[in-house]
Amino acid sequence: MVEFKIEMQKLPNDIVLVKLKGFLDAYTYGEFEKTINNLFNQKLYKLVIDMSGINYISSAGAGVFIGAIGIAQENFGNIIIVRPKPPVKEVFDLLGLSQIFIIVDSMEAALNALT
Amino acid sequence: MIQDFNERLVINSDLKHLYLSRHFIREIIRKANLAMSDENKIVLATDEALSNVIQHTYELNKNGYIDINVSVTSQKFQIHIINNGKNFDPGKTKSKDINKRIKQGKKGGLGIFLMRRVMDEVKYSFKDGQNHLTLIKYLFQIK
Repeated sequence: MVEFKIEMQKLPNDIVLVKLKGFLDAYTYGEFEKTINNLFNQKLYKLVIDMSGINYISSAGAGVFIGAIGIAQENFGNIIIVRPKPPVKEVFDLLGLSQIFIIVDSMEAALNALT
Repeated sequence: MIQDFNERLVINSDLKHLYLSRHFIREIIRKANLAMSDENKIVLATDEALSNVIQHTYELNKNGYIDINVSVTSQKFQIHIINNGKNFDPGKTKSKDINKRIKQGKKGGLGIFLMRRVMDEVKYSFKDGQNHLTLIKYLFQIK
């Protein structure tokens, strides 16, 4: 059972690809939040979050996104969400986050959204 | 036709047990042959409820217990969560203007908002030193 795993890859134009795997609940969200804050501390505000490996998200996980989007956009960046699974997308829809975040199906679309 | 049955799980008030609790609920839902759309909602609501119990009634103290009782009938799927932590009524947490608060980057109250959104009833009481939280989903179809 993969609890939660993060992989990162720096891309051209100061874009960072953050690949998530496992589940984002009240137990695991802290690591994700720390990762995002570390990137912001390095002045990296253009983030592509690959959610295709996330099987479950609760309000704790969604809260990380909510806390981060304002900071990213204030610094001329953004947070793009790629390929969320249906249960994850459902939580985003319930919280109205689908209107706040750009959610795409491909890496190409994600990179286009940031350039 | 769903046959009535009950299941029970007792966990410590440790956030690492949320995964196990979700698995427990999923197994019951599959045994009851519920629709996938109901499964996701019930698992989410239960997880949010348990997260709140651990964070607010036990204040992250891992030595508490949480008694999760699930009752399934042809009419409803009911989760009754009992614990003897601090008195915490989720009904007292505001979930109005949630969209406005989200746009302001505020994260408080999201769990309770989701519980109320996806379940048909959310009931709370405090008696004999115990918090009782009941989540009910009325069932209309099977998969």
